[in-house]
Amino acid sequence: MVELFRNIVNIISVAAIPLVLLLFLGWGIAKRVKVYEVFVEGAKDGFQVAVKIIPFLVAMLVAIGIFRASGAMEIVVAVLSPVTNLIGLPAETVPLALLRPLSGSGSLGLMTDLMKVHGADSFIGVLSSTMYGSTETTFYVLAVYFGAVGIKKTRHALPAGIVADIAGMLGALFICRIIFGA
Amino acid sequence: MLNYVWVSLIIVGLLVAVGTDIHDLSSNTYRNEVPIEASLRVDRIPTALRPAWEGGIEITADDFNNFYGIQSAKSPVRQQVLLTTLSNGRTSVAITVNDSTPDFWKKRAENAGEKGTLRGTVTAIRFSDDKKTARVSFVLDKVEFVKLRAITSAAIDYAGTAVTISLGLIGVMALWLGVMKVAEEAGLLRVLTKLLTPLTSRLFPDVPPDHPAIGAMIMNIAANMLGLNNAATPLGLKAMEELNKINPRLGTATNAMCTFLVINTAGLTLIPATAIAIRAAEGSANPGIIIGTSIFGAGCATVAGLVTVKILERLPWYRKELESEPEIGERQNG
Repeated sequence: MVELFRNIVNIISVAAIPLVLLLFLGWGIAKRVKVYEVFVEGAKDGFQVAVKIIPFLVAMLVAIGIFRASGAMEIVVAVLSPVTNLIGLPAETVPLALLRPLSGSGSLGLMTDLMKVHGADSFIGVLSSTMYGSTETTFYVLAVYFGAVGIKKTRHALPAGIVADIAGMLGALFICRIIFGA
Repeated sequence: MLNYVWVSLIIVGLLVAVGTDIHDLSSNTYRNEVPIEASLRVDRIPTALRPAWEGGIEITADDFNNFYGIQSAKSPVRQQVLLTTLSNGRTSVAITVNDSTPDFWKKRAENAGEKGTLRGTVTAIRFSDDKKTARVSFVLDKVEFVKLRAITSAAIDYAGTAVTISLGLIGVMALWLGVMKVAEEAGLLRVLTKLLTPLTSRLFPDVPPDHPAIGAMIMNIAANMLGLNNAATPLGLKAMEELNKINPRLGTATNAMCTFLVINTAGLTLIPATAIAIRAAEGSANPGIIIGTSIFGAGCATVAGLVTVKILERLPWYRKELESEPEIGERQNG
């Protein structure tokens, strides 16, 4: 069942981009759009968008870099330990839960380490990979998406994003405990 | 809120770094200027061409742990060393850092600026009668302000990483912006958006149902679901640009932007490909077993995020920000 689902999604994922390109350009030709000229016209903004993101991403990544390098994470983990113990989140996975919204590469490294130490099919291994897949790198997405259009006042996006991260982590813990026990 | 979160990340980081360094300094965590003793096995004696002793040192795990006041060393520390007699009569020691080097020493070497070698000075050496072995005491080069140095290099490294990431987007960005422009001109996005209007008009009530932003958002969410990151980000940025065209107050996020962002930060995907790949690499018998649990977790994140975003956008505090007069100098993106 899982295998079938996985195969279907895999096929769709592999075929998606070629099919979308074919459909879009084919549709354009059918509607007598000057596809090449229009494509180039649209594509020329690519550089500007990428450059616009730079200051936002620099600000975000530097702050996260300083925070991580200082070792402040260990202190936050210690402060949160009564809460995380209460809900049954294994102590080893707390840094991963905290780092997941901050840094994609950092949390990837932590997840890999946890699986190396505890085994990929152990409860911690399954939980950590579920946690990794249960949310995105909120701070990165925020900097990139809002940076591209010069949004400085982010209003309620960050609090809502953080609530989503917490819900994702709790959801991962809940479902893993039900399905894989421990 | 981002202002406070951002500045606290930096300030907490700085304070913790300064605190840790002062603590390290006062308790001499790195045992600066304290000699450590090791047994030396001589592999090669000095020659005229090469005035250096080559060999291996060994420190028992207990000695190493006691010396540094740690528990992390589990097996004896065995490392290749090079002892060189300098012109001033002193003997320098250079330890080659490799995978078996204790973390504590690795960190030291990194900190001294040389990842591959740990340097120090020999304070005493006592050879056995056959000159094959010796007891050697040495002091490693001084290490100070570890965390301050670490945050300095992190700040510089990450600034560079940010630029690399941004510039790396140029190509895929251009590709998808071009493709989307064609779809727009051909009226394809309108067809796509009509199908999902019942859903999108609820999620984004402020956006006209046939606006190109809706089409781009649908495509972004579809690409995310399929795990096509290379397409999802450009499509998401295209959607943001379209949303910004109907933004009454440039520089401030609209309700639709916040809703769209939260859907993206929750990261619902049908196949968490990265996690599965790592699981397979780490020898899992069933790497795909986390598909269902990840969908559940990300589903929780998406639902909670959407509920929160819809509640928060009604709060006077957040409404006010969108309604007040635009400040001068914030309309540069028009």
